[in-house]
Amino acid sequence: MSEHNVDVLVIGGGPGGYTAAIRAAQLGLSVGLAERAELGGVCLNWGCIPTKSLLHTADVMREAMTASELGLEISKPKFNLKKVVKRSRDVAAQLSGGISHLMRKNKITVFVGDAMFQDKNTVVVGNDTIVADNIIVATGARARNLPHIQADGDRVWDARSAMTPTFMPKELLIIGAGAIGVEFASFYNTLGAKVTLVEVMDQILPAEDAEIADLAKQSFIKQGMEVLTGTGVDEVKVTGKTLTALIGGKSRQFDAAILSVGVSGNIEDLGLEALGVEVDRGFISVDEYQQTSVDGVYAIGDVAGVPCLAHKASHEGIIAVEGIVGKMPHPLNKERIPGCTFSHPQIASIGLSEEQAGERGEIKVGRFPLLANGKAVAVNDTEGLVKTIFDASTGALLGAHMIGPGVTEMIQGFAIAIGLETTEAELMETIFPHPTLSEAMHESVLSAFGRTIHF
Amino acid sequence: MPKELYLVKVGMSMTEGMVSEWFVQDGGQVKKGEMVYALETEKVNLDVDSDYTGTVKHLVEVGVTLEPGDVVGYIFEAGEDIPDTLPGSPAAASEAEPPVRESAAVTEPVIAQVAAPSAVVSGDGHIKSSPAARRLAKELGVDYAQVAGTGPGGRIVEADIQAASQSGAAVSKAPAVIATGPEPKASPLAKRLASERGIDLRSVQGTGPGGRIVQSDIENAAITSSGAVAVSGPRAGERVPVKGMRKTIASRMHQSLQESAQLTMDMEVNMDDVVKMRSSLVEEWANEGVKPTYTDIVMKAVAKALLTHPMMNSQFLGSEIALMPEINVGMAVALPEGLVVPVVRNVDQLPIKELARETSRLAIAAREGTLGLDDYAGGTFTVTALGMYGVDSFTPIINQPQTGIMGVNRIFDGVEWNGEKPVKTKKMNLSLTWDHRAVDGAPAAEYLVEVRNLLQSPYRLLV
Repeated sequence: MSEHNVDVLVIGGGPGGYTAAIRAAQLGLSVGLAERAELGGVCLNWGCIPTKSLLHTADVMREAMTASELGLEISKPKFNLKKVVKRSRDVAAQLSGGISHLMRKNKITVFVGDAMFQDKNTVVVGNDTIVADNIIVATGARARNLPHIQADGDRVWDARSAMTPTFMPKELLIIGAGAIGVEFASFYNTLGAKVTLVEVMDQILPAEDAEIADLAKQSFIKQGMEVLTGTGVDEVKVTGKTLTALIGGKSRQFDAAILSVGVSGNIEDLGLEALGVEVDRGFISVDEYQQTSVDGVYAIGDVAGVPCLAHKASHEGIIAVEGIVGKMPHPLNKERIPGCTFSHPQIASIGLSEEQAGERGEIKVGRFPLLANGKAVAVNDTEGLVKTIFDASTGALLGAHMIGPGVTEMIQGFAIAIGLETTEAELMETIFPHPTLSEAMHESVLSAFGRTIHF
Repeated sequence: MPKELYLVKVGMSMTEGMVSEWFVQDGGQVKKGEMVYALETEKVNLDVDSDYTGTVKHLVEVGVTLEPGDVVGYIFEAGEDIPDTLPGSPAAASEAEPPVRESAAVTEPVIAQVAAPSAVVSGDGHIKSSPAARRLAKELGVDYAQVAGTGPGGRIVEADIQAASQSGAAVSKAPAVIATGPEPKASPLAKRLASERGIDLRSVQGTGPGGRIVQSDIENAAITSSGAVAVSGPRAGERVPVKGMRKTIASRMHQSLQESAQLTMDMEVNMDDVVKMRSSLVEEWANEGVKPTYTDIVMKAVAKALLTHPMMNSQFLGSEIALMPEINVGMAVALPEGLVVPVVRNVDQLPIKELARETSRLAIAAREGTLGLDDYAGGTFTVTALGMYGVDSFTPIINQPQTGIMGVNRIFDGVEWNGEKPVKTKKMNLSLTWDHRAVDGAPAAEYLVEVRNLLQSPYRLLV
């Protein structure tokens, strides 16, 4: 049993936790970080990163399949599932190793094991007792099960199983059409599975603007998926290699199902109850500086509530640490967090949907279809729309919603615009490079004010 | 026929006023709805906008005292001949009934507002210009307040300064009247909102990265000032002209101290029951939107105590002391540019609910600059509060020719002794300034004791 004293202890080495640890070290604090599994957390090991490897495989395959349209003769591509999955795992491993390096470089002591609070300043990890002035809980979240449907890793998959498949299902049921469900739908559909995507809400991607979500749905249907919205899966039964699901009263058979119905915070087995840390619906309650109800205990990232996004977690980690050292950070504005879905077509957005914005007052909405964008035509990928929403009275950019190629890389432009509080005037005055897909962003802004050039 | 431009009347008791500033030069153009001149009366300063579009000809100079309804100038509409000598004098207007414009129809107050440079797009004394343009203007000696901007939203850009320098049009002759201090860092949205709401960016504290002024800062500034104040905050090294409200306050306060024998005493009051009563009243009247303040309750106590101490409700007139027939209590309302003291009439007869309604109306009107002169008239005693700033004692200055003014201080956690046991108790000091010419110390203290007793049994104020 050894005892350690640090200024800050971070529990959880995901994108929120390790970012917080590095920022604390930069500010001259002594820092410990507790992690029970791999550094990099779900994002790097079981989420964002490995799925991007899988989706890249799917993207290249789709390009190869449509290569004849570009005048290329390529025989029908085949995939090696084992290699596809292995590459995805290798990418995760490589990046996780990178985080270990960053911890050493920043002289952050990593404690491996489950963390348990003894009191608000003391945490035990394995044989180590760590006493810290400030403790940041960054334990993340895990995939949720439904009361009547649980992932079993065999035929009913959670995200982890879904990104390490041992076979390619012919008929795949995906329960839940949030970003995770939609990305898996896109991956498996491209690789040849017959995908049925079921969402209990009235639209897929319920967090997105309704018009964009509808365009995504139309595209998925065109690609061969079956998309059922406003529909619940009442029952799932596995017998041998067959999975029988009761969907909207109808019995259907599949080879596998992916359960992607959201996440719940990892708040258990930490000793939070004894400490008196307030929780609300499975997530730790925090104030604008990530402080929990217990002085000196902070929470960031997924465990501190939705939206469960890595970049939100990292940002909150910075806020928590800068708050600890009294730097008066700026509280996170949840309306300025971009969100990306890496399906085909890609979806990216920031700010208010048209409906949300419309409820607040008079708005101006700009739309520009990629069909009218030269670059999109040239690269043979014209399916998409850039939609911008402005406050009619102030010209504030309230929201931007994009679907189509490259939009996940472009949304940062609007994120900067919103962050700097530009109005339509600055955006209109900005010169966008030609020929790029990003010109559609400019045109969308112009369109909101009746000034679009190419449509 | 040219349209006559009158000295507008604000409030029924306005007897005189003057044009304190012409916003449109003699011979300059005005559009309907644009500000044409600034009216200054004893207490109220207002921007007056034009009802017509055309060429403005001045009939009177700035600073000439006139009666409401007097003609101050003419507006010649397009196509009308403009004679070399203007028709008539102010008397020429007497044939027609002068239009009397109530204060509500007039635009926001411009107390102490600085001269807006004519060629510049700015509602707030702030000139839209790029940093590069300002630097160049300095180098070339161009007064950029005189330059018309051609950038987005009329923003002055480098090219405008260059053009102005070459044409020699706007080479500065004298330092600009307004302080064109460095433009604070602000987001485009914040700048736009500030401009629309008439908020001077230099008066706003930025909370964004690096102290940048962001949208929420403007919104907060708009809330604290009710968006009605377009006053540039004075900056170090600047000389602020003493005029309008400042001038009135200066002369009144000085006169009061010179002419009377005023002194102040403080007394501690147990506020436990007032705190309880107020919170139950707030709850009870919440549906009606009435929220009595502590100052309202003190005003009521002050007025009720004046009934039994009429000497405190008097005016010292040299050879005699006039006991006032009504109890009209003035309430000091702080504004960014000074203070005003609107009056609540017959407070002794007014239930607290009505009193709260009236003080709330007056405070809002004061901040919005829509108080009429009638709202100022007839005060016989004054209440002034600094408790919200944590003040525990001060020496208010009597609003002449009254005899007393009650200062309301902070409510704090004090101690009462229950035998040998200290008991936490809500306490507040009252600071009473009175005129020793009219009332001696003992009766003034008796009056203060009466106010204290009323506050310590506040339910007597409800009947």
